Amino acid sequence: MFLLLLRCIATLLHAGLIFGLAPLLMGVMGSLRARLLGRSGPTPLQPYRDLWKLLGKIPLVPDNATELYKFWPFVSFSAVGTIALLVPGFALNLVSAPLSDFITLIGLFALSRAAVLLAGLETGFGFGGAGAGRDVLFGIFSEAALLVVVLVFVLIAGDPTVDGIATYFRFGQIGISVSLGFALAAMLAVALAETGRIPVDNPSGHLELGMVHEAMLLEYSGRYLALFQYAAMLRLIVWFSLIATIFCPFGLAQAGNFFSWPLGLLSWLAKLAALAVALACFEVSTAKMRVFRVPEFLGVAMLLGLLSAVFLFVAGRLGG
Amino acid sequence: MIGLPGQGMHLGIDPLSALFLCMLVPQVVASAIAVEKKSVTFWVFVLGMVLALLAADAYALVLGFELMSAASWLLVLRGERVEGRSPALLYMGIALFSAACLIPAVFLPAGGLAFGLLLLGVGAKAGLAPLHAWLPRAHPAPTAGVSAVMSGGMVKIALYIIIRYGFIVFGNAIEPWWGVALMVAGAASVLIGSLRAALEVELKTVLACSTVEHAGLIAVGLGVALRARAMDDPALASLGLQAALLCALAHAAFKPLLFLGAGAVKQATGTTSLNWLGGLMRAMPRLGMLMLVGAAGMAALPLGPGFAPEFLLLHAVIAAAGAGGVMAWIGFTALLGVLGLSAALALAAAVRIIGIGFLGRPRTLHAAAAEEANTPNLIGMGLLAACCLPLALTPGLVLDALQPVISQLVPNAPEAALAYAPLPLLVLMLLLAAAAFFGMRRWAARGEREALPWTGGFGKPPAWLPFGDPATQPSATGFAEPVQRALGLAVLGSAGTDPSERYILAPLNRLHGQVTRLAEWVRRATVRQRLAFVFAALVMFLLVLGLGQNG
Repeated sequence: MFLLLLRCIATLLHAGLIFGLAPLLMGVMGSLRARLLGRSGPTPLQPYRDLWKLLGKIPLVPDNATELYKFWPFVSFSAVGTIALLVPGFALNLVSAPLSDFITLIGLFALSRAAVLLAGLETGFGFGGAGAGRDVLFGIFSEAALLVVVLVFVLIAGDPTVDGIATYFRFGQIGISVSLGFALAAMLAVALAETGRIPVDNPSGHLELGMVHEAMLLEYSGRYLALFQYAAMLRLIVWFSLIATIFCPFGLAQAGNFFSWPLGLLSWLAKLAALAVALACFEVSTAKMRVFRVPEFLGVAMLLGLLSAVFLFVAGRLGG
Repeated sequence: MIGLPGQGMHLGIDPLSALFLCMLVPQVVASAIAVEKKSVTFWVFVLGMVLALLAADAYALVLGFELMSAASWLLVLRGERVEGRSPALLYMGIALFSAACLIPAVFLPAGGLAFGLLLLGVGAKAGLAPLHAWLPRAHPAPTAGVSAVMSGGMVKIALYIIIRYGFIVFGNAIEPWWGVALMVAGAASVLIGSLRAALEVELKTVLACSTVEHAGLIAVGLGVALRARAMDDPALASLGLQAALLCALAHAAFKPLLFLGAGAVKQATGTTSLNWLGGLMRAMPRLGMLMLVGAAGMAALPLGPGFAPEFLLLHAVIAAAGAGGVMAWIGFTALLGVLGLSAALALAAAVRIIGIGFLGRPRTLHAAAAEEANTPNLIGMGLLAACCLPLALTPGLVLDALQPVISQLVPNAPEAALAYAPLPLLVLMLLLAAAAFFGMRRWAARGEREALPWTGGFGKPPAWLPFGDPATQPSATGFAEPVQRALGLAVLGSAGTDPSERYILAPLNRLHGQVTRLAEWVRRATVRQRLAFVFAALVMFLLVLGLGQNG
């Protein structure tokens, strides 16, 4: 009973942190990028101010929008928000752990993507349609690559939930393997595509022909735009947590063990910060790709996933 | 009684046929309510399907199957022409081919040859690659109610025969390669079906291509199960069967729903080309919401009816990859990649139906002047949407109800619980949405203003275009263009034709032309040529006779 209570508290803490820190992470990314480019940049708190500003504005609803116009931001947000509740952050064995099946997570990502796509097609303007068509293209390859990587995880850990995989990687004897290296590379590529970061899409781009995610939201304003942008911030922190939990499970706390929490919290924040620095450095050192190069980029990710599966098999045969 | 002399016809019902009858009933009722109450051919078609399901001997099965084929051929014949040609001839050719394979197969002794023939014959009917090219042409041709039952029902009957013979009748001679063959055919159908569904412009053709995809998904599940059963792995076999049967159930609910909706769109606007539609959600809100349910199923989104089968199928493939040798390992990993590609393609197809057809601005006056679908149509579709509900929210209970069928097909199959729980997910999502909603009520500025849409910076449309210039709006073709460039060119070639048409139908067509020319030449031969021909034949005959006697 006490254990369950403790797990509930840990889950609530996790929810509060991940929902609270999502804009901060985006802000840290923005100011780090600016610093690396030699500008002073906005403060890391800027996304909070942006959201607050958007909330204070009265939304302009296009007069040819359907009733569903206001429905899509909620779908997109609640799908990503559900993932945020399911992916372990600082602790394993949260109350929501049994739900965190990896394929369910992929489905929820697809649901959130579908809501954004339909929002882009809502008023029938050219940018929205073009952005949606491109996002569909990225989604096709990233989903395939992600599934192959998931296969590797599930076969190593013998458990389909993210929590189970992370538990196995945290406490099991797996060491460093070639297979996981390939899987990490594939997963990073997918994460870049899913969160719309630089080689694939430019998160700070406005009104350029190559933009994808922002293009679909151009007809949204006020609180609805705030919800979409918040969902994008959540997506970033969710992907960071996912990668950190699986590939770098050191220090992860047990939700039922109160004394492991501080280390878990500290290591989670440190991992997020490290990933933010790494991504910022990567973003300033590369240029955005042409749209039709992205399928090749993600195709390589899929190939890496396949290689990872093959190496896993070979290693299993050699070891066993 | 009709039947083989001295034996009569045997009918019977067991859990498997009861399950498929359960799939058939809602869609037939819905189609009857919506469109087809009075058509005798439709009811003969339904009778054929029921007979095929209730058959307890091969004769009754073939009779029912052929009755179904013949009646549906009549319905296709009466349907509309596609590009000036009726698909009925092609349909009849495929029906004859499938009969020519099925009839020997059911009377042959159990074994590889019989199953191979059965797979060819019934696979052609189910729209499995490589014999699927007829399906996207023939299924859209008849009226919506018939299209609905053809896609949701007839394809299932064909798959039912595969299950019946693969698992039960030929059950003792089962071999792993049967499952592999099914999986290969299924994977090819999944890929081509979903890709074409994302590229086609006609709404009904999109739905028919998606039927090819779902037939492929069911075949993949059945293949996993068949292979696992042959290799004596009841747990995996039961997982594969769960995926296949649940997918069949879900498809039997949402695909007829979508077809009926396409029929209503056709009635309201006179066209089903997505490039001519747009903005229907405002003119036909109820129809639009029902289509949204169907599209969620087609895209296999969580909380929709299509996700649980997809979930089970992916898990079955992952489990199968872990349980085999190196070839199985690589093969199943590649299969998983294909399934991932096609899941996202299915999402694209579903988003395109809703986003291009129902959202946005009307692209033509027909679409602008659409009125809400008539009540019977909405009732029929509502019935099917209600059938989607248990599949979407309580798939675990549906799987429990499937357990007798699974233990009939795989003896000593373990009971497996479903790891996907939609209800807690739904609760979480609703909580989050409510939190966002009330948070906005509390902190955000109230109210909203209506404004002119931005329309990407184009100027004000002229007065005779009250819904804006359609040319400034992305079309269905434009939306699919990136996919066409990245995948369509690679798989379908620059002409965009189906590989099955290019490599199977087109050579057959050429052969047909050559044979016709030969026959025509014989018919037009002069008396002298004919006499020469008869003389030559006589000489040949005598020569052969003489040689035979000498030797």
